[in-house]
Amino acid sequence: MLVLEQLQRRFGEVVALDRLDLTVAAGELRGFVGPNGAGKTTAMRCAVGVTTPDAGTVTWEGRPVDLEVRRRIGYMPEERGLYPRMRVMEQLVYLARLHGLSAAAATANATHWLERLGLSARRDSAVEELSLGNQQRVQLAAALVHDPVLLILDEPFSGLDPIAVDVMSEVLLERAAAGVAVVFSSHQLDLVEDLCRSVTVVDAGRVVLRGDVRELKRAGDRRLRVAVDGEPTWVAALPTDTEVVDRGNGEVTVALGARVDPGEVIALARASGPLLHVRLEEPRLSELFRDALQDRLRS
Amino acid sequence: MSPVTTVRLIAAREVRQRLRSRLFVGTTLVISALLTVLAALPAVLGVFDPDQALLDRDQEEAALPRLGVVGTLSLADRAAIEAAVGPVEVVEVADVDAASAALLTASDDLTAVVVPGERVLVAPSGQLLRPASVVATRVAEALALGELFGGGPERVGEVLARPSLPVEEVGEVDPAEATARLVVANLGVVFLFAVLIMYASMIINGVIEEKGSRVVELLVAAVPVRWLMTGKLLGLGIVGLLQTLTLFAPPLAVLLLTAGDAIPAGVGGLGVAIAGWFVAGYALYAVMAAGLGSLVSRPEEAQAVLTPANVLMIAGYLVGFLAINAPTSTFAVVASFVPFSAPYAMLVRQALAEPAWWEVALAAAGTLATAAALTAVAARIYEGGILRTGARVRLREAWRAG
Repeated sequence: MLVLEQLQRRFGEVVALDRLDLTVAAGELRGFVGPNGAGKTTAMRCAVGVTTPDAGTVTWEGRPVDLEVRRRIGYMPEERGLYPRMRVMEQLVYLARLHGLSAAAATANATHWLERLGLSARRDSAVEELSLGNQQRVQLAAALVHDPVLLILDEPFSGLDPIAVDVMSEVLLERAAAGVAVVFSSHQLDLVEDLCRSVTVVDAGRVVLRGDVRELKRAGDRRLRVAVDGEPTWVAALPTDTEVVDRGNGEVTVALGARVDPGEVIALARASGPLLHVRLEEPRLSELFRDALQDRLRS
Repeated sequence: MSPVTTVRLIAAREVRQRLRSRLFVGTTLVISALLTVLAALPAVLGVFDPDQALLDRDQEEAALPRLGVVGTLSLADRAAIEAAVGPVEVVEVADVDAASAALLTASDDLTAVVVPGERVLVAPSGQLLRPASVVATRVAEALALGELFGGGPERVGEVLARPSLPVEEVGEVDPAEATARLVVANLGVVFLFAVLIMYASMIINGVIEEKGSRVVELLVAAVPVRWLMTGKLLGLGIVGLLQTLTLFAPPLAVLLLTAGDAIPAGVGGLGVAIAGWFVAGYALYAVMAAGLGSLVSRPEEAQAVLTPANVLMIAGYLVGFLAINAPTSTFAVVASFVPFSAPYAMLVRQALAEPAWWEVALAAAGTLATAAALTAVAARIYEGGILRTGARVRLREAWRAG
């Protein structure tokens, strides 16, 4: 298990990490989300040893993340980077060998991942000759080529087309199923919700929400989406512990506190005109994310 | 995996990538071929052909000096002159004006013109000890002696033949070797400067490639930054040596094969000195280039950030040239122990002043120790600067972050 504990890091006046905690267990696929500048990249860089925290610890299976451990991490930096003029296959073999694999194992793994990601035909092309999408695939292969036990991917879905998103999702699920601990950051919260069992939400260097995605959704304020034929004047009479969180396309979305009866709100809406549609849902992850950030702002 | 294996992997990649560049390999081979042709030229043109050289000398010796005479030359005077300078061909000249005109006309090939009882005329001397001046002086002396002794040429010959005090040169200086050493000193300084500038530039571009393409973040996650820097410097150093060998080994071999006899024996050791100072100079300037290169992300910033190292390299080069003019001066001696000028100045002293072995060892040790100290500084700057892409990183910031 990867454990980041009470990490602190400042860059001049800017606090990037403020006692941040993060855990990723073997076989777990964890989403790591937060607004821009929340500290996700800094936390991931600390985890792979590229950045040294001012305070706090990073451990893997109870021992500090030293060079030996770092070599078993598959890392995809936010700012993608490969040698532009180096050939794809040669580059993957080189990176695998730097992570400690023998020449034979490195070649076998590179061949496997190029095939798996549909790049076999381009194995002898220079990276700069590939399309951006294919460069992204090589980048993923570079993170996987040395059989890592821990995958740390910073915005792996950024810039991918829908097909590439599917390939990436498939590979991440497959790796987690194979027992690899996987953590990735993303701004695409719906994707994280669909893909991950667990999530950590950070803001201003602190964790504001974390846990099992399903449990978090269950525990969050339910959303009642109501459309009424007529002006939604009924919202003025909403009971306490409710909040209008969205209005658009003639629909009003109301967040309901745990003890609020949805029937009561529906009755209120119906009183102001005929109902067009009603939907009661668990909150989306993106809504939980907004709630968490707003709670933090209020506090 | 051990540091040695990792560093070797990194160095091997650098070598492979450079050797795969057609431009790099092509340019090197073309320049090497040109140098080889240049080295073969003297042999092709017969400059070093000993038979030809002998023939030239015989022809020179066969031609008698032509001596002009205004009026007539008495037999006694002619005998005195020939006793002094050997047989001469005497040519009659109408008057002094005609003599002056003839002396200034190359095709007339007059060595001097005697105006009996008056003077000896000679063309203006462009250089000291020009053969014509020497002949004219001896002719004048012989005539004066003839007049003084009033006797026959036998007496003049006797006086001239009397052995003078021996003049002895101390030490054994082979003029050919002295010239060769001067040439090697000049070429060595230029060569060192050219290759050090070239490889500093290659290193900084290699560092910027990794930083600019951001692959470095992937690398430092698995490899300590110092190993990365060491591997890069080692790899590019090997490329540098390979390139230097490719550039200079074929022309040197051709030169040795075609003109080996003409190259003085003492000069060979200087080749080793040049190679040694290349390694020491590379160690010194390469680490500076790597440290400074980590501060920038774009190739167009490379030369600007490399300025401090370039200034030191140029200063060392100029110091080397000054030392050539005065290889035994205090300036040259001091400069040969200052690490940044030692590769140039000590090389010059080795070529021209023969310093003691311990002086060379001390200068080399000083340069290498400075390189080692700079490696620690450069590695820290490299650590602090290499991950900060975008705008140029200040030296102080990189130092603090490292």
